[in-house]
Amino acid sequence: MTKLAQWLWGLALLGSTWAALTMGALGLELPSSCREVLWSLPAYLLVSAGCYALGTVGYRVATFHDCEDAARELQSQIQEARADLARKGMRF
Amino acid sequence: MATGTDQVVGLGLVAVSLIIFTYYTVWVILLPFIDSQHVIHKYFLPQAYAVAIPLAAGLLLLLFVGVFITYMMLKNQKVTKKAQ
Repeated sequence: MTKLAQWLWGLALLGSTWAALTMGALGLELPSSCREVLWSLPAYLLVSAGCYALGTVGYRVATFHDCEDAARELQSQIQEARADLARKGMRF
Repeated sequence: MATGTDQVVGLGLVAVSLIIFTYYTVWVILLPFIDSQHVIHKYFLPQAYAVAIPLAAGLLLLLFVGVFITYMMLKNQKVTKKAQ
C-alpha cells in the first residue's frame, strides 16, 4: 500500500471514530466535559501537528552543522573562476 | 552547530511552538475538567474560540497562499508574453 493510501486509511479510521463518538452512535453516555474535549479534538490535533512541524524546523535550523572554512574556500574559488572567465572574454 | 542569528531564530521558533502547544493543550484538554469557579479560567478565552481562532488562521493562510500563487503565475505569464 502506498504512503498516501496508508495516511488516508488512518485518517478515515480516526474520523469515523470521532464522528461515531460525537453523534452518540455507540450509545455511550459520556460526561459533558469529555464531550467538550472530544468536540475540539480534530482542531487540537491539527494545531499540535503544526506546532510540531514548526518546532522541528526551528530545531534543525538551530543545530545545522555549518562548515565555515568550506564556505569561505568555496567563495574564493568562485571569485577565482569569475576572474578567469572574465579574462577569457565571458560577460557576466 | 549553526552560528549567530541562525541559532537565535531556530531556538526562538522552538520556544514559540512549545508555548503555543502548552497554552492550547491547557485550553482544550485541561480546562473542561477544571471547576468553572477556579481563578485559572480568567486567563483563557471562552472555549468556542479554541476552534474558531485556528480555523480562521488556517483560512487566512490558505487565502495568502492562493493569492501568492496567483501573483506568481500572472508575473510568469507577463514575462513569457514579453519574450515572445
